Amino acid sequence: MSSFYSGSLLPLGVLVWPLLIGLVAVVPRWQAGAVRLLPFAPLPALAFALAGAPGGVTVPDLLLGVTLATVSGGALLIGMTALVWIAAGIHAALTLRAGQHSGVFAGFWCITLAGNLGVFLAGDVVTFYLAFAAVSLAAWFLVVHDRTAKALSAGKLYITLAVLGEAALLIGLMIGAAAAEDLQIASVRAALADAPLGQWGLGALVLGFGIKAGMVPLHIWLPVAHPAAPVPGSAVLSGAIVKAGLIGMVLFLPDGSGWSGVLITAGILGAFGAAIWGLTQRNPKAVLAYSTVSQMGLMLMLVGAGSGNVAFYALHHGLAKAGLFLCVGVLLAARTGRQRNATLLVAAGITLSVAGLPMTGGALAKLAAKDGLAGGLAFLVTLSGVTTTLVLGWFLLRLAQSSSQPPKGQARWPALFVNAALPGIVALALPWFLWAEVTGLAGHYALRGPNVIDTLWPVLVGLGALAIVGRLRLPDYPPGDILALAQRARQMPSPLPLSTAPPAGATRNRHRSALRALLRARYVEDMIRRWPQAGLMLFAAAGAFTAIVMLAP
Amino acid sequence: MTAALPVLILLTSLVPACVTFFLAQNSHALRNGPNLCGATLKLGLIVWMLFAVAGGASYEATLTLAPGLVMLLRVDALALLFISLSATLWFLTTIYAIAYFGTKAELSRFFGFFSLCVAATTGLALSGSLISFFIFFELLTLSTWPLVAHKQDKPSLSAARVYLAYALPGSAALLWAIIWLESATGPVLFTEPPDLSALDPTALRAIFALFMIGLGVKAALVPLHGWLPAAMAAPAPVSALLHAVAVVKAGAFGVVRVIYDVFGAGTVLALGVGWPLAVLASFTIIWGSLRALQQGEIKKRLAYSTVSQVSYIVLGAALASPLAMIGGLVHLIHQGLMKITLFFCAGIYDERAGVKTIVGLNGMGWRLPWTSVCFSLGAMGMIGLPPLAGFVSKFYLGLGGLEAGAPWVLGVLVASTLLNAAYFLPLLYRLWFLPADAKATGDERAPALVVPAAVTAAAALGVGLLAASPISPLGWATLIVTREYGP
Repeated sequence: MSSFYSGSLLPLGVLVWPLLIGLVAVVPRWQAGAVRLLPFAPLPALAFALAGAPGGVTVPDLLLGVTLATVSGGALLIGMTALVWIAAGIHAALTLRAGQHSGVFAGFWCITLAGNLGVFLAGDVVTFYLAFAAVSLAAWFLVVHDRTAKALSAGKLYITLAVLGEAALLIGLMIGAAAAEDLQIASVRAALADAPLGQWGLGALVLGFGIKAGMVPLHIWLPVAHPAAPVPGSAVLSGAIVKAGLIGMVLFLPDGSGWSGVLITAGILGAFGAAIWGLTQRNPKAVLAYSTVSQMGLMLMLVGAGSGNVAFYALHHGLAKAGLFLCVGVLLAARTGRQRNATLLVAAGITLSVAGLPMTGGALAKLAAKDGLAGGLAFLVTLSGVTTTLVLGWFLLRLAQSSSQPPKGQARWPALFVNAALPGIVALALPWFLWAEVTGLAGHYALRGPNVIDTLWPVLVGLGALAIVGRLRLPDYPPGDILALAQRARQMPSPLPLSTAPPAGATRNRHRSALRALLRARYVEDMIRRWPQAGLMLFAAAGAFTAIVMLAP
Repeated sequence: MTAALPVLILLTSLVPACVTFFLAQNSHALRNGPNLCGATLKLGLIVWMLFAVAGGASYEATLTLAPGLVMLLRVDALALLFISLSATLWFLTTIYAIAYFGTKAELSRFFGFFSLCVAATTGLALSGSLISFFIFFELLTLSTWPLVAHKQDKPSLSAARVYLAYALPGSAALLWAIIWLESATGPVLFTEPPDLSALDPTALRAIFALFMIGLGVKAALVPLHGWLPAAMAAPAPVSALLHAVAVVKAGAFGVVRVIYDVFGAGTVLALGVGWPLAVLASFTIIWGSLRALQQGEIKKRLAYSTVSQVSYIVLGAALASPLAMIGGLVHLIHQGLMKITLFFCAGIYDERAGVKTIVGLNGMGWRLPWTSVCFSLGAMGMIGLPPLAGFVSKFYLGLGGLEAGAPWVLGVLVASTLLNAAYFLPLLYRLWFLPADAKATGDERAPALVVPAAVTAAAALGVGLLAASPISPLGWATLIVTREYGP
């Protein structure tokens, strides 16, 4: 009898450890305090990433044959994910009130984390699908944690899109698996390139991954979910979870397929469109959400263009975005003016890094991303610095104008502050340390004159644009752009929570035909069931059919 | 021993049945004892048989009823698959039923027919010829009718009437098909495919249609499924057994036998009857899910879900490609485990908390946590979330559909997944997220009710998690298909 597994147990440990911590939340006695354990859940993953993500493992009897192996750029992404979840976990442990809800939150937090790590470690499509399902569906609990009406309706939109994404993913993976010789990701990817239904499969995968990665126009859940989720939830959503969609695109789209063009187009649209639309939001978290859509658009464009340093860019963005979301939480908890100013300063520093100010980690990330890109696309990356500066500058203005609601008791603000600043500092500094090893470019590449100018002028232009925009009277739209416009066009009420019945007369055109079809089904079936001789008539029909067959010439 | 073992396994449920009928209402120990012993003994014998067959033994028993009319009991891999499921679930359902009924009326009658029903299912699984299959098929109908009518109130009696109105003509159609076929080919044994050259294709197609009508009543194919939601008037253990183990599975099992052991996959493809059946099964899958959305009672919603899910098995059989067959066969086990969990939990909600409707589920998650966790696992399995069992069957069915050149199967599967999510997720939401009604009561201090549900829920998780293991139901189904039906 062959052994249960072959290979190193480290990747398994990385995934199993968060689940064990999640089990603590199941025990009623420990449920209230489980949220305090959250910062410890990603620690094995961090150690794994720092060691360079060594080793893989095969467990042939689990699921349909589980293989864990690190994907390209995996060490960077796993490390970033671990750091983001640790920082957000510390914030959650410090700010969430202990209670039944926080126990549920902690449990599903751990499942989401395990799924998030799993997508970067999966070697076969079934493990990937399981991890993706975990990270998509368990994150619902993070979105609806507050249980307000707004959170529940945001959750409804989120889960609808998540389930649709799962279904699309299933179609794509089944088409790929049917054409491939085994269930390994590499085989499926090769099969999708050649299989007769391969283009449909790739389309379905692009749909499923696009929903997760916030690709325009599938991004509508992002700006609705972020303001509703608690701060640590938003931090992990924007920082790490959306990257699962990104890695999906990297893993499954073959080089040079027609879908690269789709990614590039949608990416450019999102990069610029979402950033500009972010100016219509008042809630700083909604502005950050649109910034995430914009940055993810940029990263999708890089994937489509075949850039080799997408993981490097994602590393910086994940840490920076998590830091920004945590700053929002820290500012909301601030008590004195000095605390607010300190937070705004940190946020401003991170913003400049994302915008790409020379010498920051963000500038390095942008330079690395542009390496090897065609001239036009490289220019677009540079140009995106303008819109990024604009929207994140707007975020800072909105953040400065938010009022703080410090919680009673709990004088732990310094810890929160340091916890929010650290991801930002790491985002600024880490790319310098990883530069030579990851990108293979010269150490002083970022210090060359043309490169410095390349990263400086967008920031300056953006700041100038911000100064102009700040004086204008900007519109104030609810988050959810396309969704809101579609609702207004069809005069529909906004998504209702499940517990209330629709108001009288709420049957709208879109539902009417579906309702009619359902009612007809019920009527037909009642008709069939009302015949007392239903069975006899069927029997008579069978007899007549047979007689016709037998008597036919 | 080779002839005695199948008969012994049959007797382990027949003898308790006969004994129980003559017991008084109050002799609980005398009734529960033989029933539980019979269930345990059957499980033990089947485990023994599993090891023996793996070692290469074969078992066969014949009984001549009349010249030319031979009842044949034979053990092959497919029979073993079905009988292991039914024995395990019978054991758990017996424990559940004893606790569920407690001291209610007419217990001897119930347990008598209950054991008879299991005996019929066992005989059906072990049948080696069409005539034996038919005999036990009839016995199944007759022994389940009193179970449906058990409560003897108006809904139960009318449900029982509807059940007979569907089942008896269905059996007549089945008998017609068998007689027509055997008049041309002689007695049909499942071990050797009969020589069908004496019949022309049109006649074969008509025979196939009659078979499908007869078996389709039990397997709840639209439009022959009307009895199933009505039969929800029966008590929970009856619904659990009928809808997970005995009746609907017998119909689906019969479809598999007819397609593969009587006609053969090649003949089915050559005649072109596989596609209409696959389309009908797909229609049933979607129709069942749509109707489930409209139900307000828990058991009715689960009934329509059964209508939908059992057609996965028929779809897998009709597509006639190896992967689809594996998916259909393994869904026989997986759906049985998941559905029985759901019905057990529905029974607990009814008995312990008085909840029959979906609206009444509000807040029950925190009052009855174990039950609700089992219910949640069963529901997630139905939706098809890995690592639960339902995902594995759906995956194989999808791959099988593509292998058979029918990519529309993917659309059916995905639509079914979305519909399942649409009618199961709101139940989970109500259980865990909505506050309970102020007048709600209930607890789950009845371990004999909760433990069977927990066992089947854990099994549904386990068979999915360890699906690639050679001893899992998936491994078994793969073995059956490659060994007996593969090229």
